[in-house]
Amino acid sequence: MKLKKVLFPCAVAALMLAGCTGQKQGGDNLKGTYNVTLWVSEVAGVADQFRAQIRAFEAENEGIKIVETIEGVSESSSATQVLTDIDAAADIYCFAQDQTARLIEGGALAKLGKAAAEQVKAENDAGSILAVTGGNDLYAYPLTSDNGYFMYYDKSVITEDVDITNFEAILAKCETSGHTFTMEAAGSAWYIASWFFGTGCTSTWTTDNEGKINGVVDTFNDPVKGLAAAKGLYKLVKSTAHKDNSSVASFEDATPAAVVVSGMWDYTTASAILGENLGVAELPYFHVGEEAYHLGSFSGNKLLGVKPQSDAKRAAVMSKLALYLTGEKCQQERFDEFAWGPSNKVVQNSEAVKANPALAALAKQNQYGTPQGQIHGSWWDIAKVIATDVKATDGSDEQLQAALDAYAAKLADIFEVHPWGLVGNMAESNWSTNIEMTLNANGTWEITYEFLANAEFKVRCGGDWDSFATLKLTLPEGMEQIEGGNIKVNTAGTYKVVVDPVALTLVITAQ
Amino acid sequence: MSEELNQVVVEQVPVQKPKKEKRHMGIKAKRIISNTFVYILLVIMSIIWLAPFVCIVLQSFRCESTWMTGYIIPKQWGFDNYVRLFTKTKFPRWFLNTTIISIATAALQLIIILCMSYTLSRLRFKGRKALMNAMLVLGLFPGILGMIILYRILADLHLTQQNAIPGLILVYTASSGMGYYVSKGFFDTLPKSLDEAARVDGANRAQVLFKVILPLSKPIIIYTLLTSFMGPWGDFVFARYVSFGHSDGMNVAVGLQNMLGSAASINANYTTFCAGGVIVAIPITILFMCLQKYYVEGVTGGAVKG
Repeated sequence: MKLKKVLFPCAVAALMLAGCTGQKQGGDNLKGTYNVTLWVSEVAGVADQFRAQIRAFEAENEGIKIVETIEGVSESSSATQVLTDIDAAADIYCFAQDQTARLIEGGALAKLGKAAAEQVKAENDAGSILAVTGGNDLYAYPLTSDNGYFMYYDKSVITEDVDITNFEAILAKCETSGHTFTMEAAGSAWYIASWFFGTGCTSTWTTDNEGKINGVVDTFNDPVKGLAAAKGLYKLVKSTAHKDNSSVASFEDATPAAVVVSGMWDYTTASAILGENLGVAELPYFHVGEEAYHLGSFSGNKLLGVKPQSDAKRAAVMSKLALYLTGEKCQQERFDEFAWGPSNKVVQNSEAVKANPALAALAKQNQYGTPQGQIHGSWWDIAKVIATDVKATDGSDEQLQAALDAYAAKLADIFEVHPWGLVGNMAESNWSTNIEMTLNANGTWEITYEFLANAEFKVRCGGDWDSFATLKLTLPEGMEQIEGGNIKVNTAGTYKVVVDPVALTLVITAQ
Repeated sequence: MSEELNQVVVEQVPVQKPKKEKRHMGIKAKRIISNTFVYILLVIMSIIWLAPFVCIVLQSFRCESTWMTGYIIPKQWGFDNYVRLFTKTKFPRWFLNTTIISIATAALQLIIILCMSYTLSRLRFKGRKALMNAMLVLGLFPGILGMIILYRILADLHLTQQNAIPGLILVYTASSGMGYYVSKGFFDTLPKSLDEAARVDGANRAQVLFKVILPLSKPIIIYTLLTSFMGPWGDFVFARYVSFGHSDGMNVAVGLQNMLGSAASINANYTTFCAGGVIVAIPITILFMCLQKYYVEGVTGGAVKG
């Protein structure tokens, strides 16, 4: 009895205590041991820091025990690896922003819950929120906001008398001093976009509610802005000083670089090579005719994604852990140890971050930056050809425009909309070409056309003959469907033809 | 006439003499020129061929920086990269994995190939020709085509990631029976009367193989061992799939490549990677140097009668 008397209040007290702490952590029900695999950057030390941060997470969330397996898989290749076999992939993985769209499409990212999404939106900068958004939902957790590029330069070559904001002046100095201007062109659409964003061109991709890409507004072939960008790019790729690379190790080449356009990841190496001679700056202005354009850039992020989990409790823990690992404290630690630029707004405003010269240059450049958003995977290959095509021209407006138009045509192929059209021998047309109909706002296709007597025709979508057979016909007097399927015009005249590709109807009325 | 004749003769002599000298000089000059040309060509070829290896070795001793540089000769020499390789990376684990896989594969393949080729060389059974033809046709399909389905099977058997070692041994060994051609060719050259004599003395087929044929087949055994050791030692594509991002299941090729995943890690790991490349080359070089004699014998021995 005595024992019971003592035990009972103890048990109640313990329960209350557990209840309190449980409430603080969002419920007792998350307690347990979880085996978690993480794929993080393969850079030395990163895995160890993640491990330490997981221990801190456990300390903050009593009762949750994480048994982690951490592997180094680079952020650029992790998405491919994940999509190869989602079952075998890590539960939590880091990836570069350009992979978000295909990861969402491949079902490799778990949607954030409402509370988690609110927290991510409140704590991180606007660009990084855009990076994790697909449709109406958030799919990942911003890890950094430093995936952009700026200019590293050798102060002993690009001396103070050179205008560091003038691209042509810098390029001329490189040419005369026998140094290279190292900037990636033919190898990477990511860097080429700099010229086009600089002149105000856009390439914006839209997604549906599910996060799948369904369209693009791209003005890279604009006859004024696009052409100006192509002329700037032409100056670079035709220069004898140009080296098509983005590694700061070029500062040590046999023909050393005076300027390298690269990002945060090269800062440590650049400082080691150039020491006090290292200069960092935003990208310069380039000039076409009277106009000066500041080179633009992509501003992007590294993200942390959680694989969809079958167990709801487990999913909640993964989300909690991902939130913690991308939170203020962890981002601050990552900046301190690896100089990773934070996406967290509080850390961004800390004195230490502001004092980092490379991050300062990146921040300045980001004023001219375009948040990367979601981009169709094939764009990178389509757009990087621009540099090769531009280099192959003679620099004339016509040839440069032709190179840009070729790019636009390839881009249009991704979302090729096949127009419906008439095909037949009803007028000058023959059986090989479509007379295209126009698309109405309600999604129907329409044409008003003058048909000759005895003409025969069909209606088809693009070049697809089978599309005609799917339509339910409503024909006017004066037309009939004959053997073989063709519509024959018995009475010449003007008719209105309307196709509804959703209801699959074809209605022809005499006008 | 005679005067005329004499004149002709006199005229011919001075013409012939320089001709003889020219021909003599020509051969000598030709030999020198052709030799010079051949040697220059050979030197150029060996420079081209050796340059990458020399670069890797030199880079692995570079201590002043860890990234790719525009020069080849290090400014500071040392073993920093090797120390880093063995202390800061999982290289010892990858090396051990690769060694286990290669030795196991070599041993298993040796047994399978020798048994297979002995059977096909000495025994006559129903369907022998059909079997050989079927294997020839199967061998014509590029193995890489089966990679995805093999990965799926291995993943379902839980032989991927941390269990990659048994998985890889299974894959490398599975189709080894089809590589019987060279050793069957060798066995065909050994006189059948040896087998018959042993059989008459009461030996069974296995005894004939192990006690009579194999002692005579040293070159082909070593050739088979070497080739089946080298395959897994340098494999990358399949090993990468099967280890699937799990560093405990990687072999040296995959592990080293994984060290160069991004711009930042190339800057940090390039020279360490080179050191790894040198270490990987050492065992295979030693093996080759010791067994080179047999290797050549094995190839040519098997080629006599295919």
